[in-house]
Amino acid sequence: MAAVTIALKDLRQRIRDHSAFLWGIVAPFGLALVFSLILGNVADPSSFDVSYAVVDLDGGEMGRVFVDEILMPISKAGPLGEEGFFDLVVVTSEAAAETMAENGDVDAAIIVPSGFTDAVNSGAPSAVTVVGNVNSPTLAEVARSIASGYADEVNTVRTSVFSLVVLQGEMPDEAEMSVLAAAARAEPAPLVVGDDPAASKILSAQTFYAAGMAIMFLFLAVQFGVLGLLEEKQNGTMARLLAAPISRTSIVAGKALTSFVIGISSMAVLVVGTTFLLNASWGNSVGVAILVLAGVLSAMGIMFFVAAFAKTPEQAGNLQAIIAFLLAMLGGTFFPVYQAGGLLGKLSLLTPHAWFLRGLGDLTGEGTIGAVFPAALYVVAFGVVTGLLAQFRLGKAVAP
Amino acid sequence: MRKVYSIGLVNTIRFLRERSNIFFVFLLPLLIILLLGAMYGTGFDSKVGVHVADAGGPLADSLVAAVEDLQEMSVTRYDDAGSMSDAVQRGTVDGGFTIPAGYDADLAAGEVVEVVFSGRVTDQTSMLLAEAVRGAVASEAEPIRAARFVEHQGLASFEEALPIAAGLADDESGRITVVYREAGDSPFEEFEGLGNFDFGSSQELVLFMFLTSLAGSASLIQTRRLGVARRMLSTPTSTRVILGGETLGRYSIALVQGVYIMVGTLVLFRVDWGDPVGAVAIVAVFALVGAAGAMLMGALFSNDQQAGSLGVLLGLGLAALGGAMAPIELFPESMKNLAKLTPHAWAIDGFAELTRRNGNITDILPHLGVLAAFAAAFMLLGAWRLRRVLTR
Repeated sequence: MAAVTIALKDLRQRIRDHSAFLWGIVAPFGLALVFSLILGNVADPSSFDVSYAVVDLDGGEMGRVFVDEILMPISKAGPLGEEGFFDLVVVTSEAAAETMAENGDVDAAIIVPSGFTDAVNSGAPSAVTVVGNVNSPTLAEVARSIASGYADEVNTVRTSVFSLVVLQGEMPDEAEMSVLAAAARAEPAPLVVGDDPAASKILSAQTFYAAGMAIMFLFLAVQFGVLGLLEEKQNGTMARLLAAPISRTSIVAGKALTSFVIGISSMAVLVVGTTFLLNASWGNSVGVAILVLAGVLSAMGIMFFVAAFAKTPEQAGNLQAIIAFLLAMLGGTFFPVYQAGGLLGKLSLLTPHAWFLRGLGDLTGEGTIGAVFPAALYVVAFGVVTGLLAQFRLGKAVAP
Repeated sequence: MRKVYSIGLVNTIRFLRERSNIFFVFLLPLLIILLLGAMYGTGFDSKVGVHVADAGGPLADSLVAAVEDLQEMSVTRYDDAGSMSDAVQRGTVDGGFTIPAGYDADLAAGEVVEVVFSGRVTDQTSMLLAEAVRGAVASEAEPIRAARFVEHQGLASFEEALPIAAGLADDESGRITVVYREAGDSPFEEFEGLGNFDFGSSQELVLFMFLTSLAGSASLIQTRRLGVARRMLSTPTSTRVILGGETLGRYSIALVQGVYIMVGTLVLFRVDWGDPVGAVAIVAVFALVGAAGAMLMGALFSNDQQAGSLGVLLGLGLAALGGAMAPIELFPESMKNLAKLTPHAWAIDGFAELTRRNGNITDILPHLGVLAAFAAAFMLLGAWRLRRVLTR
């Protein structure tokens, strides 16, 4: 009961000087807001309008097949209608196509050269040109791969026919040639690429910044309870507390309770606030609650550890700030360090921050509450180990 | 003037005596630059995972080699399917492709073999990677399909035809190719040719100089709370002198930190800072902006914890807004304009002028002017407010 009284008094004090509110809510929320404003759109490209220009300078069979049978059917001008992948603009001059790509009117321009059909039939080299707009590298790359796909097909038919010619040792006439080419085209592809879509465990930009800032500042916000132990001692009120009929355990428990309440409530406000105001999607609320609980316990464990080894509240506060920033940085709350892989990725996974974010990713990717347990377990274990280590030294803090 | 100097000196000593400040001022900035360099220094290649389900064979090896030869791609091999799928889901790689068991034997036996590409749904990078892998597979399939065609025509066996087809497929003359080139103006053109650490260093420099200065505002608050300011005022010392001394304390720390980061990154990471006179000028003026900002914060708040938390918020928030965490070129239009309201954006652009556009001090005079204006505005507001709170 004494623990609750101590905690209530501490909480009232923290509410009055706004410090817990500033560290626990205003700072993380403000930073998450700034990050998602400036970077949210970069990381999350929404639907885009794709458009390509094509010019057929060839006028022969092969050029016609490419435009009418390869490009048209998948464009919005084809049978798919609005479901088509891109707008196709057919232009008549190379210069016009290039200008469109240069100005960004289209994402890429595809140019079928003159004499393309003749080159294919006679075995002479020829090149389809793709001019991509520099600001749409991805969409330009898709245009390039469509063109490459066609080139691959043409080359394969040619290699097939000429392999036969080499073995036969004589050049067939034109009629035979086109029969062979048709047969080569009919030969089924030996390799197909199957698709195995993977669930993404990567958080959306908005969620990533909200969660990253929340967990980073959690480690700073919990200091307000535990540091009270050192403050009471510095102010001389610890001796008075000990003289009162209050057990040492109650004093420690009271301070722990303060940290716990501040940690849980600031996280709760951040989760709800960023969900509604910043469009973050944290995932299943029970799973998030488990991770938040684990995070708070972890932060408290470290805080107790720091308090046990520091002499003054200032020293402990500064040390906790150093630890909080280092773990946050390495844990990938600003940029995804884990994705770098290698040694850096392994180091990152030593931090509770990386596991907290990973737990949220698992929750999003797998969609079941159970998915958070491995991550939550590590996060808690971090707090339990540091908290237990603190117990050996905490006696000196709770002494007159 | 001597009083200003001694107040500044005491201030600096008090700041440096706190060991945690040494960490934030000198260690953390270089650690972060190192971390950023290690993360992004290898470039922005797409990352693809490859898993060969059995011992493989010459055809399987050749397919892997074809993927490895793709441009702007880094390939990681995985020994088991589970860890590759995990890597795809978590973003360690952008996609993974699996070569099934018996790949060589099945191809030789004339079967249709499926290699599986696994990418994150709705992820643009994954989609793009799938296209690239499809392209590599198509080129790989060319001689195999040609050899099968020959076999089906009854002219030779698959094994006899394959080397001939492979030879023809490798022969570059007489093939249809796709030539790719880019057109238009890219905001990234300037970033080409920068070293591993070049890009992040100037941003971290301004971020930390400003952040450290704001964190130092706590010292002005202590000066006030402990009654030091009031006692100084009872001597023939004006508020202007106190403010000057405190500002000098902050200024010297910011300046030392700025020069330290510059020299540290130059020596450790060989970062190019461009024209040294210009670079030092930016640091000198920007340190003034930070010091004046700290004075304003210190005058506005009366509690270290409040100033501390808002200092972190403003220090990181303005830095992010000013392009110290991601290049302004990437921002949406509206945010680009807002960024110009931060001193950070002007300092970073000043550094860009020196390094990427090879400018010298005359080219950055506008930047220095704007920064000086920021410093003057902060200083005036701070002095006005401080006079009120000190003489209340």
